Amino acid sequence: MGKRVLLADDDQLLASLLNFRLKKGGYDVHHSSNGKEVKEYLKTEMPDIIVSDIMMPYFSGIELIDFVRNELKSNTPIIIISSAGNEQNVLSAFELGANDFITKPVSPTELLVRVAREINKI
Amino acid sequence: MIPLRQIKISLITAPEFNLEYLWWLSILFIVLAVLYFIGIFLIRNRITSNSGRTKDKKIEFSPMISEFLFYEDSNSKEEKMNYLNLKIQIRELIKDNFDRSVLTEVLLDLRKDLSGQSQTVLIELYKDLGLHNDAFEKLASRKWQIISSGILELTSMEVKESYGLIIKFINHRQGTVRKQAEIAVVNLKEEGIGYFLDNTKYKISEWQQLKFLDVLRHKPNFEPPSFGLWLTSTNSHVVLFSLRLIKYYRQSDAEQSIITLLKHKNRDIQSEAIDCIKEFFFVRALPTLKMVYGKASTDIKIAILDAIGEIGSKSDVEFLERLKKKEKNFNIRSKVLGTLNKLNPESILPTKNISDSDYFSSEVENNEDVYEAHESIESEIAAETTEIIPQNVIEIEKDLVVEEANELIIDEQVVNLIADEHLKHNGKELNEVDRKVDSEINEEIISIEQNVNVDLISEIDLNFLPKVENDVVEEEEAISANFKIIVEEERALTFDFLPLIISNPSIEEVITNDEDDDFFPMFSLDEDLDIEHKEIENQVDSIQKNVIELIDWANVSDNDSNQDAEIAKEPLISFENDTVTFFANFMEQGELDTMVLLENIAEMGDCRELPMLQELLTINTSPLILDRTNELIQKFSYQSPRPNELFSSKNDLAESVFTEVYNHSDKETKLMLLKEIKLVGDKKEIKLLETIINTETKTLAKSAKSVLKHIKSKIALTNAELINTVDNNHPLFDVNFEFGLSEASKRMMKSNEDGSTIFDQLCSMSNTLYNKING
Repeated sequence: MGKRVLLADDDQLLASLLNFRLKKGGYDVHHSSNGKEVKEYLKTEMPDIIVSDIMMPYFSGIELIDFVRNELKSNTPIIIISSAGNEQNVLSAFELGANDFITKPVSPTELLVRVAREINKI
Repeated sequence: MIPLRQIKISLITAPEFNLEYLWWLSILFIVLAVLYFIGIFLIRNRITSNSGRTKDKKIEFSPMISEFLFYEDSNSKEEKMNYLNLKIQIRELIKDNFDRSVLTEVLLDLRKDLSGQSQTVLIELYKDLGLHNDAFEKLASRKWQIISSGILELTSMEVKESYGLIIKFINHRQGTVRKQAEIAVVNLKEEGIGYFLDNTKYKISEWQQLKFLDVLRHKPNFEPPSFGLWLTSTNSHVVLFSLRLIKYYRQSDAEQSIITLLKHKNRDIQSEAIDCIKEFFFVRALPTLKMVYGKASTDIKIAILDAIGEIGSKSDVEFLERLKKKEKNFNIRSKVLGTLNKLNPESILPTKNISDSDYFSSEVENNEDVYEAHESIESEIAAETTEIIPQNVIEIEKDLVVEEANELIIDEQVVNLIADEHLKHNGKELNEVDRKVDSEINEEIISIEQNVNVDLISEIDLNFLPKVENDVVEEEEAISANFKIIVEEERALTFDFLPLIISNPSIEEVITNDEDDDFFPMFSLDEDLDIEHKEIENQVDSIQKNVIELIDWANVSDNDSNQDAEIAKEPLISFENDTVTFFANFMEQGELDTMVLLENIAEMGDCRELPMLQELLTINTSPLILDRTNELIQKFSYQSPRPNELFSSKNDLAESVFTEVYNHSDKETKLMLLKEIKLVGDKKEIKLLETIINTETKTLAKSAKSVLKHIKSKIALTNAELINTVDNNHPLFDVNFEFGLSEASKRMMKSNEDGSTIFDQLCSMSNTLYNKING
């Protein structure tokens, strides 16, 4: 059984594409299309890695990092994907405990490499 | 007559209206409203259903697209079969227009989110599925928004075949289509930028220029053409953009064109040309920059000055100096000054809020006076010591020779040569002599300084010095009529050189400077000049001797002492020509010691020092000491008053606090004060009140009388209480009464016992009611 990846992205097309690529890469992917679903999933299960978009309904990627690190007290690696790659977003993400940051447009192959790297660090 | 009230004038007369029409109109509006709402409902439903269908289709397409995007040749046979099936399936699907449009939309969306290999595959898939043909059809549309979307689609999917179709939209009358086409042309092919710059007739907005730059910047392996070629364009926007591109790509091959553009009427082009000139350091542009400056706007002038500052040299300072005088505009003037300092650092010094030197002169003079006083003391000592006199004269002579040399340079060249040579030879000799003399002088000065009387020091003043100089000058005039140059120089001389006589380094410095003069190596003295020089040298020696012999040093000192006496009468500080001059005033040592003693007594002493102070009064005669001693005696003789004295009638404290306020008040305040006195006053106020009764007006006197009466009764009462307190000196627990109940209390208690209180009555009432209810 492959490593579990939580993919949180409200963009159905991109999520589907990344989901496909990650699954093809041997990962067990769970897709959540909004922050609420992510929170509910995380209460029941903790994946090996979280790949999350920064802009999501109900619960942003930054809030997700805060939730995982400070409420769940989990050290699960978190990779943030954002189209707004401004400095403030990147800094906030890293300050709260994100492990990596990828800006759109995303190369699925690159994401796969980064996910593998973060999982290997554990 | 009809009264006015009964006349009715209708200002607004409503037109007659048939009520039937009203009904018809109402029905019409209701129908229209219903149609409107039905229309909205239908359109909304259509949009919703469309978006729902689109969403479903996107979900349907997305795994297919993923399969296409991440298909690898190394996949298994099953996967390959699956891929082929999908391809057939998708080709069937896109036969439907809606499906095709959805697929195009999906691919365009993913194009924005994906990068790398996936993006390339995506673009290939778009072309492979023939979706670009739809975009081509869009270009033929009459609607500008469809044309624009078609161009955008083709540009995003990098369909280079569309280049030929899109270029015709470069000068489209519709701005959006035109701009989209411009970006597409630049984006699709490398030569697009050239075509665009060649053909565009319209304005290129700043935003559009930024977009072009962004496109060009992200173009891989882009080799920019020489943008100088478009500096000749008739479209000034093309010229401006070309200048910016020249600057961005650092193309310095169009120097002359850029310099010519300085004369362009468009300010933006001028400004950009100046920037290029500055960037590429086109020094040849300086004359044109100066030429253009006159008729340029403020911003351009500042830009030109900035450019001159960057590429200019000191030869441009003259131009800037002229501008400094001419320019009135604050910004330009500041820039001119800045540029001047840039080309010639520190040529312009701060002037704003800088005080004149006169402002600080008093302090400087003060410091100089102190310094000169010290110098004069040393000079005086030197003058009084016979052994030092010859050296002094030598020093004077030497300085005269130095000054002579300087004067000769200005007057005549031949004499200058002689004097210079003379200096050259004499300088070394004199220098050696001076060193010996100075060492002797210094030794003498040190010994004399230790022994010198304080009286002498106090009498010394700098003003005696010019006398000596004058004497010396007169003497020298009498000695040598032939040596006119020296005499003329001596007349002009001041005794500023006097410190040089004592100070070793300063003498050396003067001579060294002469030796190192710039003009010195220019002359080569021949033998005749040497002979002439020797003659002059002999003359100088003879003058030295004569001066020493003829100067009446005794008179000099006498004169000095007389003058000192005169100066002593002068004030210590004089104000002349807006300057403050301080004169030295020294005290005798004995006097100084006594003053120090007195100051110590003043600081730490008390009345026990009085005998000593009295003694000092008798033994000292100095007015300063006597004044200070008397002052201290007065200070220590004072004894603080006793408490009884404080409240005696002679003392202020015995007086009412209201007195002073009362004397400075008006009538109303006085009345208020009297009321206050009545409230808080005591026997101290009696005197004030009596005065008021005797001196003031009737009203005040009447009030004062009543207050006085009140105070007196209060005092009497207080006295009586005091007496009682003293008389009734009873023990604390010796009481002459017993505790008991009053009649009223007894009655109250009795009624309570009878149950006649309100509480009792309420209780009895409730009991009665309870009994009645229970039968």
